[in-house]
Amino acid sequence: MPTERQLEFESLVQPHLNSLYSTALRMTHNQNDAEDLVQDTLFKAFRAFDQYQKNTNFRAWAFRILVNTYITAYRKAIRQPQKVSYDDLEEFYLYKKLDETVALQETAKEDFLENFFEDDVKDALENLPYQFRLVVLLCDVEGFSYNEIANIIDAPLGTVMSRLYRGRKLLQRYLWNYAKEHGYVVNEQE
Amino acid sequence: MTADATQKKYNCKDVEKKVQAFLDGRLAKEQVLHIEEHLDYCLPCDKKIEFEKKLRNLVKSKARENSHPSKLDLELKRIISAKKS
Repeated sequence: MPTERQLEFESLVQPHLNSLYSTALRMTHNQNDAEDLVQDTLFKAFRAFDQYQKNTNFRAWAFRILVNTYITAYRKAIRQPQKVSYDDLEEFYLYKKLDETVALQETAKEDFLENFFEDDVKDALENLPYQFRLVVLLCDVEGFSYNEIANIIDAPLGTVMSRLYRGRKLLQRYLWNYAKEHGYVVNEQE
Repeated sequence: MTADATQKKYNCKDVEKKVQAFLDGRLAKEQVLHIEEHLDYCLPCDKKIEFEKKLRNLVKSKARENSHPSKLDLELKRIISAKKS
């Protein structure tokens, strides 16, 4: 018979398996590694469950363990920072690019977003350097607040905000590159 | 109240600088009012903000997995029933 503690852990974690797996998949890029990461997270979380304070934010607590587990497992890869250029990175990046490149009507600009397939968005996200990807996923996909994210990744609020803002702008640049490569935009000036 | 909040009117640059915090609901009430006031008469900014909202929805809806491998449910069962070492 499972103990009360076991059942409590299971009932707390079960609703978040999709989120944990989803984030793990975007961070590791493949299903096997994502499964391993979530599995390790579940193992560590259960082992540390005594430290979890009842009626506090279990979801953020579990994600904190996921992030720590990810960073430990991928330490080597993470240590080699990707070279990314932040030149020309401004707000409304995608909108401005559309504006400059194509003589589209407003409605077409909105429709333009309909072009993106699931894989385009996932690929663009997965191309972000990991520390940006992590905060964008936590905020914009999983809906965590700035404070929760600061706690999950163990960083000051200012760091969370600068990574998030920069990450979103980079994401727009990547999406724009996708749109060009995949022919979602045709430059009418060419 | 910050100097920022007492400022009378926002221009397009102010809106651009604050767009992310605005959409995240992180601005003070006064700042939100200043932005909304600007959006009431500035169609280009209004369009950009609407586009930004749509884009966020796109990311949210497309980047999320709506299921997980059943293997993880089995692993969860295994983990909680394993003897504590």
